[in-house]
Amino acid sequence: MIDQRTLDLLLQGVANVSWQSLVMLAIACVLMYLAIVRDYEPLLLLPIAAGCLLANLPLSPLIAPEGMLRILYDVGVGNELFPLLIFIGIGALTDFGPLLENPRLVLLGAAGQFGIFLTLILALLLGFTQPEAASIGIIGAIDGPTSIYVSGILAPHMLGPITVAAYSYMSLVPIILPPVVRLLTTRRERQIRMPYRSRKISRRTRILFPIVVSVVVGILVPFATPLIGMLMLGNLMKESGVVERLTKASSTEIANTVTLFLGLAIGSTMVGADFLKKETLFILVLGLLAFILDGAAGVLFAKLLNGLSGGKVNPMIGAAGISAFPMAARVVQRMAHEEDFENYLLMHAMGANAAGQVASVVAGGVLLALMGAGG
Amino acid sequence: MMRRYRLKVGEREFAIDVQEQTADRYAVSVGGEAYEVTLAEDANPSAVSIAPRPTVALPPSRPAVTAGGKGALTAPMPGVILEVKVKAGDAVERGQPVAVLDAMKMHNTIASPQTGVVAEVLVAAGQTVDHGELILKYRET
Repeated sequence: MIDQRTLDLLLQGVANVSWQSLVMLAIACVLMYLAIVRDYEPLLLLPIAAGCLLANLPLSPLIAPEGMLRILYDVGVGNELFPLLIFIGIGALTDFGPLLENPRLVLLGAAGQFGIFLTLILALLLGFTQPEAASIGIIGAIDGPTSIYVSGILAPHMLGPITVAAYSYMSLVPIILPPVVRLLTTRRERQIRMPYRSRKISRRTRILFPIVVSVVVGILVPFATPLIGMLMLGNLMKESGVVERLTKASSTEIANTVTLFLGLAIGSTMVGADFLKKETLFILVLGLLAFILDGAAGVLFAKLLNGLSGGKVNPMIGAAGISAFPMAARVVQRMAHEEDFENYLLMHAMGANAAGQVASVVAGGVLLALMGAGG
Repeated sequence: MMRRYRLKVGEREFAIDVQEQTADRYAVSVGGEAYEVTLAEDANPSAVSIAPRPTVALPPSRPAVTAGGKGALTAPMPGVILEVKVKAGDAVERGQPVAVLDAMKMHNTIASPQTGVVAEVLVAAGQTVDHGELILKYRET
């Protein structure tokens, strides 16, 4: 005979389904759809969606104190380990050659971070606290690990929506960036040709670059040291050519493993009642705005450079000054090719893009410093 | 950077052009025969491996900077040729894709800068090209 108590025990899963968890399951399915069908950054969105789905099942043991997702969060997200490990891999994959060939491009990388600070102000006006506003602004760099790193320190409770925003917008770079660029440039400007000037960069320069950047940035912006240090470590391993196995492990096995763990852990923070707030919507909208403003600032600054140089800079390469490496540069090259099939902006755009990668890390460090993180 | 050496081995004289492509890869042309040379060990110059690549001759001097100079198409940026879509004798229109170049891991379609007939294709799929290296020549009209 089944008494009421046995029935309750057997059905406690069903009994604990809340409308919030149902909505979150639906959101998880939307993210899975975007990852699987639309191919939007599937490497991250799929694990995030899975983490979200598993965490929102009733009484999910996975997010109980000894649950796997909770352990992953504690091991690598709460203490910032995972984004830093991913940065080693990104450094091992980044070619700073185009930037070294044309160091002026570093200015575009700096300009591409302007939107971060505009968005920060706007978020403050909307009632977010300073650390929250800074975490939202950093979405504009479209640099996932930096977003995770900064918000993990300043506003861990907003990690889920911020990460989802950063990675969703990263996959939307080819859709969001072109209209911004077109709006701010004339057809004639978009057709400015920038011949590639091959300046061979010596191996010594390529090896010294990561070391010098680590030291200089580390002294100027101590809070950026973890991110820039790992980025440059990966790059040093790549350029030195003496630790090919470590380079390969960092950019493939380690990066892949950590991406899975990171995605699952981030997804598990997106739990019903905490996620379904109007703040989440604000974060998504403000993040998008930060992204657009960053791109616009880059383009406008490139227009300025174009004016100063007497029409030699195609303003579109400014759009690559946001992070989103190397997607933003590719988008710029594709747009240039559409306007004029003999115009190849790729190397210039890659240079600006690599600069943007470094600049977004520095911007993250500056924000952390301004917020007095670390104590 | 292209360097030209003149070497005398016994009675024979060689003109050797060396073009650095990356820190450890060089395109070397000896009397018109082209080789791709990989430096196995920087400190020990005797240990270089030389693989003959007889298909292509290096351009004799530093090539034109802009693509589509008179009668020729050159690589607009350094990279690897993934695909060649035309062969000698083909008629091409201006804007017609003739090759795919992988630069910075992006596939770039290289389109013909002029209408004409291909006289000679100087690259093959899988070949590393430097900026300004000849891709194809057009027939004189």
